[in-house]
Amino acid sequence: MPVDTLQQIAETNSWGSIYPELILGILALALLALEVVLPKFAHGLIPRIAIIGQLVLLGYILFVDPTGCCSGEAFGGMLLLSPAGQAFRVFFLASSIFVSYLGMVSLANKQLPRIEFFHITLVITGALMLLAQANHFVMLFVALETATVGFYVLVSYFRNNVLSLEAGLKYLIMGALSSSILLFGIVLLYGAASNPALAGSSVDSLNFANLKVFLQANPTDVMALMGMLLVISGVAFKIGAFPFQIWIPDVYQGAPVPTTAFLSIASKAAGFAMLISLVNVFEPLTDWLTPLLVGIAALTILFGNFGALTQRNVKRLIGLSGVSHAGFLLIGVVASMSVEWALTAILFYLFAYLLASAAVFGVMVHMPKEDEAELSLDDFADLSKKNGFLGLALAIGIGSLAGIPPLAGFIGKLLIFVAAFEAELYGLLAVAVIGVVVSIYYYFGWLKYAFFEIWKFNDDEEDREEPVPGASLGLFGKLTLLLAIIGTALLGFYQSPLGNWLAGS
Amino acid sequence: MTDFFFYLFSTIALASAAAVVLSRNTVNAAMFLIVCFLSMASLFVLLEAYFLAVIQVLVYAGAVVVLFLFIIMLLDVREDAKRKLSPFTAGAGLVGFAILVMGIIAVVSSDSIKATSEVLPEPSGASLKAFGNELFTTYLLPMQVTGFLLLVAMIGVIVLSKKLQEPEEQS
Repeated sequence: MPVDTLQQIAETNSWGSIYPELILGILALALLALEVVLPKFAHGLIPRIAIIGQLVLLGYILFVDPTGCCSGEAFGGMLLLSPAGQAFRVFFLASSIFVSYLGMVSLANKQLPRIEFFHITLVITGALMLLAQANHFVMLFVALETATVGFYVLVSYFRNNVLSLEAGLKYLIMGALSSSILLFGIVLLYGAASNPALAGSSVDSLNFANLKVFLQANPTDVMALMGMLLVISGVAFKIGAFPFQIWIPDVYQGAPVPTTAFLSIASKAAGFAMLISLVNVFEPLTDWLTPLLVGIAALTILFGNFGALTQRNVKRLIGLSGVSHAGFLLIGVVASMSVEWALTAILFYLFAYLLASAAVFGVMVHMPKEDEAELSLDDFADLSKKNGFLGLALAIGIGSLAGIPPLAGFIGKLLIFVAAFEAELYGLLAVAVIGVVVSIYYYFGWLKYAFFEIWKFNDDEEDREEPVPGASLGLFGKLTLLLAIIGTALLGFYQSPLGNWLAGS
Repeated sequence: MTDFFFYLFSTIALASAAAVVLSRNTVNAAMFLIVCFLSMASLFVLLEAYFLAVIQVLVYAGAVVVLFLFIIMLLDVREDAKRKLSPFTAGAGLVGFAILVMGIIAVVSSDSIKATSEVLPEPSGASLKAFGNELFTTYLLPMQVTGFLLLVAMIGVIVLSKKLQEPEEQS
C-alpha cells in the first residue's frame, strides 16, 4: 500500500473531534498515577478530582460546545458525529458524575480498593460515548466490550459480599452469552454483505452506510435477516428486554448501589443508543423488524410491571421497573421508524429517567443498612418522619418514574405516547397504558412505606438506637439530590430548553 | 486435492468438537479442544488466511487451552456421575436444536450462498503487512480502545483478587 493512501486514510483520524472521550481516558489514567504519586493521607482527594474533572468537562460541553464541534464521519467511517451523539455524551457524563458521587459515599466505610472504582467508571463512560456514535460494527463491538468488561468488575466490586460475587458471575456469563450472540449476528451480516456476487456488496461491509446500501438491494436475504435477528437479540440483552431480562433482578440486587445505578441508567441508555443507530441501518428490513420490536416492547412492558408487583427487595423492584421503562422506550424506537421527532422523545424520556433515578438511588445510598443487597421496603418505613428531605426526594423521584403529571417522567411518557399515536401503534399504546396503571400500584406501595404509619409487631419493648437515614448526607449529597429534584420538577413545567436542545441541536 | 483436505479437516474438527462435549473427563475434553482448534487452523490455511491460522494456533490452541488446563488442574474436577436431564431442559434443548438446524438449512439454501463470483477481493487480514497497515490506519481508534479494554480487565483482576488490607489498628 503506497504511503500517500495511508496518509489519506489517517487524515480522517481527527482526534480533536472526540475530545470528551480523550479527556475521560486521560483523567482515568491520571487517577491511577495520582494514587502512586500522592501521599497516603491525600488519597481522599482523588475521587473529588475525578468528579471535579468530569464536572468541568460537562460544563465545557454544555456552555461552550452544546451542539458538538464537528459533524459527519470521522476515523474513516468508524464514528458518525451528530447532535444526537452529543446529547448522549452529556447523558453519559451526567450519569457518570452521579455514579462517582454514589461511589464516594458507598465506598467511604469499606476496606476495599477505592481509586480503581472511579478509574473503571471513567473508562466505561468514554466507551459508552464512543458506542453511541459508532458507525461501524468493529467500533461498536470494541466499545461495547470495553464497557461490559468494566461492568463485570464493578458488579462484583464488593467482593466480601457473597451476593455481589454471585451477581458478578451471573452478569459475566450472561454478558458473554449476549456478546457472542451479537457477534454471531455481525458475522452473518458481514458474510452476506461481502459476497461480491450480490448487488450492493462492498469490501467494507461492516460500515453502517455500506450495509444499509446492501440491505436496500437485498431486503429478503435470509442470511442478513438472521444476522439482524441475532444482533437485535444481543442488544435486547443489554437493555433487558423480554425474553432476555432474566439476569436483571439478581444482578441488580447483588451489585453495589452505585453499580446498580450505573447499569440501570447508563448501560440501558447505551443499549438504546445502539438500537437507534441499528434501526436506522436495518430500515430496509422494516417488514420484519417492526413486528419483532412491537412484540418485544409489549411483552417487556407487561413482564416488567407484573414482575415488579410482588417484589419487596428495593433493588429488584427498581430492576424490574427498569425493564418496563425499557419497554416504554422501545415503543419510542418503533415509533421513530415512521415519526421523525420520536428520537427527541426518546432522548427526553432518558433525561427524565436519569434525573428521577438519580433522586431514588441518591436516597437508597444514604439508607443505613449493613448489607445493602437486603435493602427492602420495610427499611423505608417512616422515612419522611426520620428525614424529611430524603422523603421528599424519594417521593419526587418515584413520582417521576411512575409518570405523575407535574413531573418530568409524565412529560417523557406523554411524548412517547403521542409519537406512538402518530405512528398508529394503537395496540402497543393499550398495553402501555395497562403497564402504567400497574406500575402506579407498586411505586405508590413504596411511597406508602415511606410516608404512612405501618403497624408493626414489637416483641421487645426496649428502644433500640436505630441509625438515622441520611446520616452520611453531606453538602455535596444535598446539592446532588436537590439538583435531581429541581430538575425533575422543572422539566415537568418547562420542557422547551431541553427539548429545543435535543431537537434543534 | 483441496477438496480432500477440506473434508478431512472438517471431519476432524466436527468429531473432536463432539468429543469435547461428550467426554466425561475434563482434561480429555480440553485436549480434544486443541485438536479442534488445530483443524480449524488448517481450514484457515486452505483459505489462504495464513495469518489467521497462525493466530489460531498461538492464541487459542496455545494460550487459551493452557489456561483451561490450569483451571481444571487447580479446581481438581472429578468425573461426576451422569446427571439426569429434567424433561423441561431436554425439551428446550430439542427445540433449540430444531431451530438451529432450520437456521442452517435456511442459510445454506439461500440465494446469497449459491451466488458466487470468481473474483474475490483481497481480504485485508490475509497478509501480516496488510493487516498491520489496516490496524494502524483505518482501525486505529478501535485498536486504541482495545488498549483501554485490556487495561480495565487487568485492573479488574487486581481489584477482585488482591489481598484486602487489614483495617489499620488505631493506637
